[in-house]
Amino acid sequence: MISMKAKKDEISTQKRSWFRNLIFPGCVLVIYGMVLVISPAEAAMAFGSSAGILFNLMLPLSLVFTIMVLMNLFLKPVHIVRFLGPESGSKGIVLSAVAGIISMGPIYAWYPLLRELREKGAKNSLIAVFLANRAVKPFLLPIMIAYLGGVYVVVLTLFTIAGSLAVGYLVNILIKD
Amino acid sequence: MKIAVSSEDLNLEARVAQRFGISPYLIIVDPETMEFEAVPNPGAAGQRAAGVQTVVLAISKEVGAVLTGYLSPTAMKYLTNNGIEVITGVKGAVSEAVALYRNQIHPATIHRKVKPERTRTILIRAFNSTGKQFANLLPIFVGVVLLVGLFNTFISKELLSLIFPGNALLDTLCGAGFGSILASNPINSYVIGGELLKQGVSLFAVTAFLTAWVTIGLVQLPAEIAALGKKFALIRNALSFALCMAISFLTVATYYAILG
Repeated sequence: MISMKAKKDEISTQKRSWFRNLIFPGCVLVIYGMVLVISPAEAAMAFGSSAGILFNLMLPLSLVFTIMVLMNLFLKPVHIVRFLGPESGSKGIVLSAVAGIISMGPIYAWYPLLRELREKGAKNSLIAVFLANRAVKPFLLPIMIAYLGGVYVVVLTLFTIAGSLAVGYLVNILIKD
Repeated sequence: MKIAVSSEDLNLEARVAQRFGISPYLIIVDPETMEFEAVPNPGAAGQRAAGVQTVVLAISKEVGAVLTGYLSPTAMKYLTNNGIEVITGVKGAVSEAVALYRNQIHPATIHRKVKPERTRTILIRAFNSTGKQFANLLPIFVGVVLLVGLFNTFISKELLSLIFPGNALLDTLCGAGFGSILASNPINSYVIGGELLKQGVSLFAVTAFLTAWVTIGLVQLPAEIAALGKKFALIRNALSFALCMAISFLTVATYYAILG
């Protein structure tokens, strides 16, 4: 009975989140509707511009889908929890960075787990390294490269990873574990 | 091969703990020599995701089998997927359970080993979860693309140059500021950043914007404070803002140096 209730709760949460996701595009469509009434030519121009963007992103988006399938095949939350354990020293830093890079989904979904890990001894600095490395998203690289070019993406990625270590180091100094 | 037994206490005479996820200890024992190590279970307090912690502990100890009273289907799946044999319904003292296992005395009611899943099932599940993740991501993404279309039509380059005047420091500050306020999947920041570049906004501003979008979350700050504490959240976000500025300068300088 308890598991059936949990399942129902989960389904209703998913439905709520689905509806919440529709609010923003719904508002944009309302704006389009208003523009269409006031100035049909410009509404058509804006829609054409959006269609062009979507068309250009078709190939990168299919690559994103493929990489996401591969990550879902080979990476499970249990692996990420393993990476983000209370390891110390350079090994802990590298593992936290890797965990941040391969973690998917919105950040707020990770907060409860991060709190738990900290209560179990994971250092503040490692949690900061994890959060900073979430900026590196391997499965979204095709989109990023399509817009910004490969060289730029490599340089930005390397500086982001290096910067995350700096933030981890400073968090360690400023907040005593 | 070592085996893990959920245990009420630190020794081999302790009773087998009936719930794997919240058992006080795991006894890691070699059934041939009976040499053992008692490890406190990080999930013993029974918080959320306690079972995952216990599974991680068992996997990290490289055991070949788990003996326990009961464990959740999720924990069972993770263990068996990692090649660990799982035996449930085990009762009595830890040493007796190990002896029964060593002598391969498994009454049908207590032996349970789940076969590894078929490749087809695993593939279908991966496609299904990716489909769900994509379906969650798409509405906002399409909304952003439609909004960018409006933006491209109505916001002139002249207006943008008022906000991003072309001064590296001011552009970076503005970019990081916008990125800190807005937050959603990074894919949306790439579309907005890419279109801003096409409109002539400097790479300094766009780089700071992209980095701040993911690492700083003013909208999510209350959630971060609730989960990780005010001091941690404020210091981390402030440091991340400085980091976005630094990353922007270094990335753009290096990028232009590489391009010559």
